[in-house]
Amino acid sequence: MLKDITIGQYFPGNSVIHRMDSRFKIVLDILYVVILFLANNFISLAVAGIFIFMAYGVSEIKPVMMFKSLKPLLPLILFTAALNLFFVKGTDEPLVSWWIINIYQEGISTAVFMIVRIICLIVGMSLLTYTTSPIVLTDAIERLLSPLKKIKLPVHELAMMMTIALRFIPTLIEETDKIMSAQKARGADLDTGGLMKRAKALVPILIPLFVSAFKRANELAMAMECRCYRGGEGRTKLRQLKAQPIDYIISLLMITVLGFVIVDNIVFV
Amino acid sequence: MNIIEVEKLCFEYPITDDEGNVIGGNRVLENIDLKIPKGQFLAVLGHNGCGKSTLAKHFNGILVGNSGKVFVNGTDTSDDDKIYDVRQTVGMVFQNPDNQLVATIVEEDVAFAPENLGIPPAEIRKRVDEALNAVDMYKYRLHSAHQLSGGQKQRVAIAGVIAMRPQCIVLDEPTAMLDPKGRKSVMKTIKRLNKEFGITVVLITHYMDEAAQAERVVVMDSGKIIMDDIPKKIFSQVDRLTEAGLDVPQVTQLAYELKKEGVDISLEVLTEEDVLKELKHLLDK
Amino acid sequence: MNAVETKKLTYKYSVGTPFETTAVDNVSVSVELGEFVGVIGHTGSGKSTFIQHLNGLLKQTSGEVYINGRNIRSKDVDIKEIRFEAGLVFQYSEYQLFEETVYKDIAYGPKNMGLSKEEIDKRVLKAADEMGIGRELLDRSPFDLSGGQKRRVALAGVIAMEPKILILDEPAAGLDPSGRDKVLEKISEYHKKSGTTILLVSHSMEDIVKYADKVLVMNRGQLFCYENTDKVFSMAKELQMIGLDVPQITKLAQLLFENGIDIGQDIYTVERAKERIMKIIKGKTNA
Repeated sequence: MLKDITIGQYFPGNSVIHRMDSRFKIVLDILYVVILFLANNFISLAVAGIFIFMAYGVSEIKPVMMFKSLKPLLPLILFTAALNLFFVKGTDEPLVSWWIINIYQEGISTAVFMIVRIICLIVGMSLLTYTTSPIVLTDAIERLLSPLKKIKLPVHELAMMMTIALRFIPTLIEETDKIMSAQKARGADLDTGGLMKRAKALVPILIPLFVSAFKRANELAMAMECRCYRGGEGRTKLRQLKAQPIDYIISLLMITVLGFVIVDNIVFV
Repeated sequence: MNIIEVEKLCFEYPITDDEGNVIGGNRVLENIDLKIPKGQFLAVLGHNGCGKSTLAKHFNGILVGNSGKVFVNGTDTSDDDKIYDVRQTVGMVFQNPDNQLVATIVEEDVAFAPENLGIPPAEIRKRVDEALNAVDMYKYRLHSAHQLSGGQKQRVAIAGVIAMRPQCIVLDEPTAMLDPKGRKSVMKTIKRLNKEFGITVVLITHYMDEAAQAERVVVMDSGKIIMDDIPKKIFSQVDRLTEAGLDVPQVTQLAYELKKEGVDISLEVLTEEDVLKELKHLLDK
Repeated sequence: MNAVETKKLTYKYSVGTPFETTAVDNVSVSVELGEFVGVIGHTGSGKSTFIQHLNGLLKQTSGEVYINGRNIRSKDVDIKEIRFEAGLVFQYSEYQLFEETVYKDIAYGPKNMGLSKEEIDKRVLKAADEMGIGRELLDRSPFDLSGGQKRRVALAGVIAMEPKILILDEPAAGLDPSGRDKVLEKISEYHKKSGTTILLVSHSMEDIVKYADKVLVMNRGQLFCYENTDKVFSMAKELQMIGLDVPQITKLAQLLFENGIDIGQDIYTVERAKERIMKIIKGKTNA
């Protein structure tokens, strides 16, 4: 079901991770991705993995949510694993050899490595959205990008667009579900037939969805005007972004991990 | 002292041809005169397309008439320099609760208007908490808006307007999309804002039971105000309301039917208690 | 034969997770051919989930659904056929409109049934007539119509499939009094003319009372009761206890009774209340 998608979901809380400055969270998350891609061996990966699982531990997010975030991307993970499993050639004799398929020791270890790496990646990204409210997230992006205002990039407008998009994702998903049900009740066939037929079957769903999205946009714009919205000029924020000692401590930890991974993978290859 | 004054207001939507040239107008409001005193709970009743929503949009300068004037606290709403003062004084809540919430988290949405007004963060926090308490949604302040019921969403939308500290709120069919429970909770909230906080309320609706709870009812039809009185006097005119495509409360209908049968009963009844009193009086004679 | 029959129908969300909830709990009901059944229950009572099982849009966790005697989940039944047999109109049905013209939109269902062009044309015109949609509107875009008109076009789109059972989820929600009356009148007329079995979900007791022969009450996913309209509204107290609203006139009868004026416990229309009160008044003047 479409409702299972957890991207952009936020779980309010009061943990250390929740209280971190969201600008730090974004930068550290990017740093974390860099670490994952630098890590070339299991030890580095394990260190990175332990780091993110510890972060989950203190974040008070239910462990179930980790699996939930992985669920929609499971096919991708399995596909990557299979690719590595079947196509990585080793130097020794293959462990399994059947028809054109040869599985080597190296294939297995690369596949496992890739799975762990992708899981760490998704789980790490999800932690950011789980613990940061969308508006604070976009606020942080706005602040991080604010130097780009100098080159006439509409930073506030982009951030506002993101806020609204995140707000309306669940609403539109629900709406899509409803329209699909309504058209199915009129005999729409959405699951069978060739590519062309399926694409055509989407028209009765997309048109009502667009019509309603435009109507929503119109009404939202009016409601925003009624609440005195006039762009980013002179706007204040409910929540002030302020770096605290904890932000520096966690950054230090992250830099240590980065340092370790660099030393482990580049210096001692 | 009147908070809103409407003088000879006319409005028409332009009709354009395929190339966008204006070829005529669709008259929606016809010479409207209306004065709304501070602190009043006014209901504007009328069927769909009678012009009531269009009129509401003039109260805070979203629309400006083709002729005539609207004053908010004496300020002309067509004065562009003062438009934000007007909008801050007269807040507006719309029908679809989903389409007026801007932010995902309840308290962040309520903070939207104060943020736009450039209010310092500590003060915003105070206003947000106050507004959420006023609509009885404080304990949901950290919830996602889309997980709330329709009635709860609508109350958040009301809080989002209250946070501007308006003197008046205009609600455009705020309960049309809600279930009975949601409708009740929203009506309760509206009445509370009027009674406890002294906020002037203009409720646009086509539900007669909601209009019956107001102090004063204005009935519109074809862009004109056709009736303007206290609810009891309005609803006793059953024929005129039916003609305007509206309902009357069942008990009023009952009194009307009884009267037709020759029973000496007042038509000015709105509640069950009113009928009880009338019947007791009748049977004790 | 029953038009609709459910046996121990149960539907659970998120089975096997901590969020598991039973939306429909062991509901066994049978609706006879040609009946007009009102379905009531507050939001979250499971009534919308229940009706989505009747045309197979949702798949039950356990139990069975029979439409015109056929188990809709048996292997030799094509679920698409069931959808044409049990037509379902959703709440705010105007959002399903998508075609360029009203005509084409009404024709969408019949087209999916694989009918001939002549048959489609016949059905579209008939359905439009049934729902009071003038011929001059058929070539217009459905998006240019008024709210009430759009709603009736959406209804016509399902009626044109000529389902034997018509299930309507809040067909009058959000409409003003005259729009509401028009939609419900058209449905009632269609019911009388065609003999179609109708299930009408509504929050408005006044509407249910006006049109339904029987009333199905849901509460917390369970069947609270399923009885003749008379019987159901004589249980006004119980209905109020499970959070349902009863018509104002019923509340009046209760209040009068408490104050020594007994006009009966089966009052749910103004008409009946008037008759009873007249009787009391006449009895008094004669005495």
